Amino acid sequence: MSSAAAEPDFDVIVVGGGPAGSVTAYLLAQQGLSVVLIERGEAPGAKNLSGGVLYGRVLDEVFPGFAQSAPVERRITRHVTTFLTGDSSVSLDYAGGPLAEPVNAVTVLRARFDPWLAERAEEAGVFLMPGVRVDSLLREDTPAGPQVVGVRAGDDELRARVVVAADGVNSFLARSIGLRPQPPTHHLAVGVKAVVSLPRTVIEDRFAVSGDQGAAHAIVGDCTLGIGGGGFLYTNTESLSVGVVLRLDDLVKHGRTAAEVFEHYLSHPVLEPYLRGGEIVEYGSHLVAEGGLEMLGQIVTGGMVVVGEAAGLTINSGLTVRGMDLAIGSAVAAAKGIGEAIAAQDVTATGLAAYRRHLDESFVVKDLRTYARAPKFLERPRMYGAYGELAAGLFRDVFRLDGSPRKHLAAVARDSFRRSAVSVRDLVSDGWAGVRAL
Amino acid sequence: MKIVVAYKWAPNPQDADVAADGSVDLGRAKWAVSEYDPVALELARQLADATGGEVIGLTVGAAGIDTPLARKAALSRGLDRLVLVADDALDGADGTRVAAVLAAAVRGIGDVDVVLAGDSSVDVAAGQVALTLAGTLGWLGLAAVSAVRVADAGTAGLVVERELPAGTAVVSVPTPVVLAATADAVVPRVAGMKDILAAAKKPVEVLSLAELSVAEPGAVLTTLATAKPGGAERTARIFDGSDAAAAATELVGALRQSGAL
Ligand SMILES: Cc1cc2nc3c(=O)[nH]c(=O)nc-3n(C[C@H](O)[C@H](O)[C@H](O)COP(=O)(O)OP(=O)(O)OC[C@H]3O[C@@H](n4cnc5c(N)ncnc54)[C@H](O)[C@@H]3O)c2cc1C
Repeated sequence: MSSAAAEPDFDVIVVGGGPAGSVTAYLLAQQGLSVVLIERGEAPGAKNLSGGVLYGRVLDEVFPGFAQSAPVERRITRHVTTFLTGDSSVSLDYAGGPLAEPVNAVTVLRARFDPWLAERAEEAGVFLMPGVRVDSLLREDTPAGPQVVGVRAGDDELRARVVVAADGVNSFLARSIGLRPQPPTHHLAVGVKAVVSLPRTVIEDRFAVSGDQGAAHAIVGDCTLGIGGGGFLYTNTESLSVGVVLRLDDLVKHGRTAAEVFEHYLSHPVLEPYLRGGEIVEYGSHLVAEGGLEMLGQIVTGGMVVVGEAAGLTINSGLTVRGMDLAIGSAVAAAKGIGEAIAAQDVTATGLAAYRRHLDESFVVKDLRTYARAPKFLERPRMYGAYGELAAGLFRDVFRLDGSPRKHLAAVARDSFRRSAVSVRDLVSDGWAGVRAL
Repeated sequence: MKIVVAYKWAPNPQDADVAADGSVDLGRAKWAVSEYDPVALELARQLADATGGEVIGLTVGAAGIDTPLARKAALSRGLDRLVLVADDALDGADGTRVAAVLAAAVRGIGDVDVVLAGDSSVDVAAGQVALTLAGTLGWLGLAAVSAVRVADAGTAGLVVERELPAGTAVVSVPTPVVLAATADAVVPRVAGMKDILAAAKKPVEVLSLAELSVAEPGAVLTTLATAKPGGAERTARIFDGSDAAAAATELVGALRQSGAL
């Protein structure tokens, strides 16, 4: 086929039916562009692991009032942060109305949420194409340099003015043309999670929530057997999402498997009471990019942009994993940038650079900057062992009435330090790093 | 030649939650063309291509079976057009009722030579719809069909191969006829991007249940109880793997003894 003359089949091809892809496709169709959304799963969401907490502000801008119409599980009104040791725990519990209105965070199950997003795109006129795995990009040399002009799947080729790579953390598409180097392992984490079904009332009793309210627990310390990372426990309507996120290099160094750590986590005496009697209905593991701003590589090239986790957009603060909201934020920026580039009839890297500008101005890059130091901070080993011991020691002494005279809290704290493996210098250093990173 | 493929848009049992008491909850299951039906679609396409015929997809069920996704999933697998009966009155309809509605739709389509279907559905798997349909239409019906082609020049009808317990039978079959295909009769095609794009442009006709004036079912089926199928008898022998070579020899011996090798 002579390429220069070949008419594109669509204005835009979006590869990947996760939040980034569906929202990009939706917003482009709303601008009147013809868009195809290609997803390898038989239905959007089919390949995506269970879900999590979605920070909903940006989605509310795309779909005002989405929390009423979308299949969200619970509105998070209670955030609990727990430091674990082998047999004890210290928690910070923040609960309050301000978290509920306007919608700050909701839990979602991807098997329900992704199809909803894709349906909105389809309603807006997007051609949904599930069950197709894109194998490669079509590229051509033009006077302006190499340009992506479409995709290939099996024997078929499809052409477009712009291709959007929304194909998730492994982004084969971005890597195939050298946009994203293989991330170093200390920028990769492995997430293992499960959905555990429990009756609604049991969840509400155990987590002290009611109605459509829910709780999000972040857990650090013994739960990961001292491996860099953390655990989470989120309430859905009639299930819990429970999992660990482990730094890949540290996991390898400790000679453990992710499944082993996950087992340990589920049976931890602090976790077990929440999960008791529940049944695992879904289980899986998945890589998470957690390099913050450092992972954000080149996201624009001639004829193609990269959005969502494919672009390296995740924040792992140690207490929360964020990716879906950043994926949606990048979708908003990409749809704007692509719309402008197509209108200006310049879909070269120069024209599509509008996407990068919109992204830089958005909360996405601002938040990545804020958390730029988080990955390094979380590489500090004390985060996962000694601090738990320290905090537990501190609170044990405060709460345990053993007949010895009560000390002032400051004195108790000092004693705890002496017993713990953490030096005051460590604490100051990590504390400072933490304040700056988080 | 006018060929109708009766297929089912069904929940995938791989996603089912099975409770301890054996009850099955398909609430979380994703829907798709029932696993064995693409074989019937493929047989129909090959037969039509050999005869210059037309392949019409036909499916009946609750209103939820009519989505753009469901339409494209079927139309991208070699159909020329699609006829749907989507009505919530058909939610959970038993095989006899489904067959009655299919029969009415086949009559509505008119001049049909062959109806092809899968041997059984992936979710209910009672395996009686195709032959009940044949009976309702007053046509010949054959199950266990593993191949079908047009008869040699000068002869009317079809040549059908059947995979029966006694062996393979090759039979000459007059039309109209209803054929139920075995699960492995052919390897069905995987829909490509162009197939899916083309699918969106193919005609779809939605028939209302009322229009078809299907007689109310004479009897309504009531399920009294369900139970898990009994587990298959297993020998469950464990070989000591400390000496790998010895364990391998033992394993091969055991497999020989049981006739597996
Ligand atoms: C354990 C764990 C916990 C997490 N918890 C949270 C949380 O609580 N909150 C949060 O906001 N984020 C969380 N995240 C991160 C979040 O899951 C991701 O950031 C988010 O899914 C990114 O969305 P996306 O649309 O960019 O990519 P994805 O959701 O990964 O979607 C990519 C899609 O592309 C499809 N695809 C890939 N390749 C191809 C191809 N070649 N052809 C066709 N289709 C293709 C895939 O099937 C998939 O549907 C978590 C991640 C993990 C692993």
